[in-house]
Amino acid sequence: MRRTSESRSRQILDLPLDVRTQEKAKADKAPCVEEGRLATYRPDGRNVQRFLALLSKRMNRRLALSMTGCVHCGLCADSCHYALVFPDDPQMTPVAKADRIRKIFKRHMDWTGRIAPWWVGAKRPSDDADLNELKNVAFGLCSACRRCTFNCPMGVDTAGLIRFTRGLLTSLGIVPEGIFNVSRDQWDTGNQMGVSEADYLETLAWMRDEVRTELGTDAVDIPIDKDGCDFLYVINPREIKFDPRSIGQAVKIFHLAGESWTMPRWGWDNTNFGLFSGDDALGAFVADNVYEAAARLKAKRIVISECGHGFRSTRWEGYGWAGRDQDVPSESVVVSLERWLREGRLRVDPSRNALPVTFHDSCNIARSGGLTEEPRRVLQRVCSDFREMTPNRTENYCCTGGGGLLSMAEYRPIRLEAASIKARQLEATGAKLVCTMCHNCIDGLNDVIKHYNLDLKVVQVLELVDKALLV
Amino acid sequence: MSPFLNVLENQVQLICLAFMAVVYVLRLAWILHFRPVRERGLAQGDAGRGAGYALAGVALPGAMESIRRKPIFYAQFLLFHLGVVAAITATFIIPYAPGLFEKRLIVLAFQIVIGAACLAGILRLVRRLSDRRLRAVSRPDDYLSILMMILFFGAGVLAVPNHPRDGETALIAFFILTAFFLVYVPFSKICHYLYYPFIRFDLGRSLGHRGVWPPVRPGRECAPPAGRPS
Repeated sequence: MRRTSESRSRQILDLPLDVRTQEKAKADKAPCVEEGRLATYRPDGRNVQRFLALLSKRMNRRLALSMTGCVHCGLCADSCHYALVFPDDPQMTPVAKADRIRKIFKRHMDWTGRIAPWWVGAKRPSDDADLNELKNVAFGLCSACRRCTFNCPMGVDTAGLIRFTRGLLTSLGIVPEGIFNVSRDQWDTGNQMGVSEADYLETLAWMRDEVRTELGTDAVDIPIDKDGCDFLYVINPREIKFDPRSIGQAVKIFHLAGESWTMPRWGWDNTNFGLFSGDDALGAFVADNVYEAAARLKAKRIVISECGHGFRSTRWEGYGWAGRDQDVPSESVVVSLERWLREGRLRVDPSRNALPVTFHDSCNIARSGGLTEEPRRVLQRVCSDFREMTPNRTENYCCTGGGGLLSMAEYRPIRLEAASIKARQLEATGAKLVCTMCHNCIDGLNDVIKHYNLDLKVVQVLELVDKALLV
Repeated sequence: MSPFLNVLENQVQLICLAFMAVVYVLRLAWILHFRPVRERGLAQGDAGRGAGYALAGVALPGAMESIRRKPIFYAQFLLFHLGVVAAITATFIIPYAPGLFEKRLIVLAFQIVIGAACLAGILRLVRRLSDRRLRAVSRPDDYLSILMMILFFGAGVLAVPNHPRDGETALIAFFILTAFFLVYVPFSKICHYLYYPFIRFDLGRSLGHRGVWPPVRPGRECAPPAGRPS
């Protein structure tokens, strides 16, 4: 039988719930599972009731407005990379995905849906199979890039509804394995890659020594838990585990800029899987670790390394999750870089970055973080051939690995199919380097580049600044 | 004017209007009873400007890529909603200021606007029926709402000359449909206009606070974020 694109979503919707790692976590007596902070699946037939109870309990005004405000105009379909790549599949449109939770809301909470459900398409999930299908939509067919939100004439935050749905399902243990595993690591180790304190400190010491050798001075240091510094630097665990070069680049630049800074022994992870899993409690826990570290060390501000969802979580969402008002200012390291360049504290030669460079705006930074111009100003200072991709800034397409999709292997094939639009966008720039200020985007873009055989290399802002430095 | 039409234009409309107002108040109370969400991070932009930008979105066809790429869709949207305003205005002019519709030019203007809206409505219905992605998310309410609006506009075009002596059919149809809408709208998708300012205001405030909206134009300096050391 010829496979049509319409059947593509069906294949995803039918993916079963895999609870093997949940069973392992129970067998390992993982503290977060033992203490009930991370839910595991309970096949007792009561998940639908629990789901509905949580739906009522967690509903807020913003979500309720997005639930009720959609007029089914369908304009969002032209903004979603899934819907654009699979135009024959009605289930790929943002409105169709959001309607899966909207119809439950209408049946459970909205008047019309309670009185005449068939009239407005209101329907409760029947059983765990329905919830599993909802899981596959919320986690597998949306990267929560928020492009549809920005293209909705009503202002419906479909990505917000998707995150809300994810959160409800996470509370029932009806989640992809990847989401469960990373959440477990972040709950139990304070960072999403399960990096131990010894590994963290050892990697930092290694990078410090590398920079000392490069600059030929022992004055270079990575102060740990130092009180009263100008800023606290928090990073993505990926930098420790897979690519510590970015730490070395940052250390070198901070030293040359003459900054007073520190890194915390605990609370150094700026990433936050609560954003992806929809688990506000995890979000609060991780964000609070950073905020508490800054308060404990009396840092004057928090500087967040290049990470899209880390920036959004630490700079914006974390305060809401943790229920605290921001007291210590925070900024992305790219903002710091831009300031140091502007103030002449860093001297650079753009000819050292002669290859054509384009910039990929991370969804979480551009659409949810309000940071679009600073990276461009930096790139224009340190590169000799900077070119925009189209569309850009808040209209840019997702790297297609956002929303935690990189951790969910079961959705990888469809993610890469949907990435064809990103591949075309990258290719059209004619650039040889694509720069992004997000570790998630690095992996997402590398996947796209490899899958579509593009002649491109992914770099970060720190890397290009480092290369252009006149020491 | 027959007593039936007289009652329909006056008492029935007032009762239905009062009903709609009550249900709207209840709807708003229901929406507002949900816990509000607020930004707790230090502001990087202006929440008020963001809200203003969001609320003005309806008049900024260049602001959204989805609209920018579909100028005809925007034109339809504009005509359709201008027609709504004109038709609703006509339901008040006919019983309370009929003198206005004695001027041929005014009648013609209303007929053109409402007629164009009727045409836009038909195009919208065709789009909903022919686009399988739209069909997949369309419910009976979606179809009935647009169908009744088309009929309402059609009746409106015929009713605005307001000549009951030449036959009351168009006026009766127009006011029956008006009464129907006044009762039905609060329960249908048509009440989206009630939510529109709240949704856009909320989204705009949040994105304005974060410095996302209004968008920074390339080349324009953005304001230094709050909390950034001097």
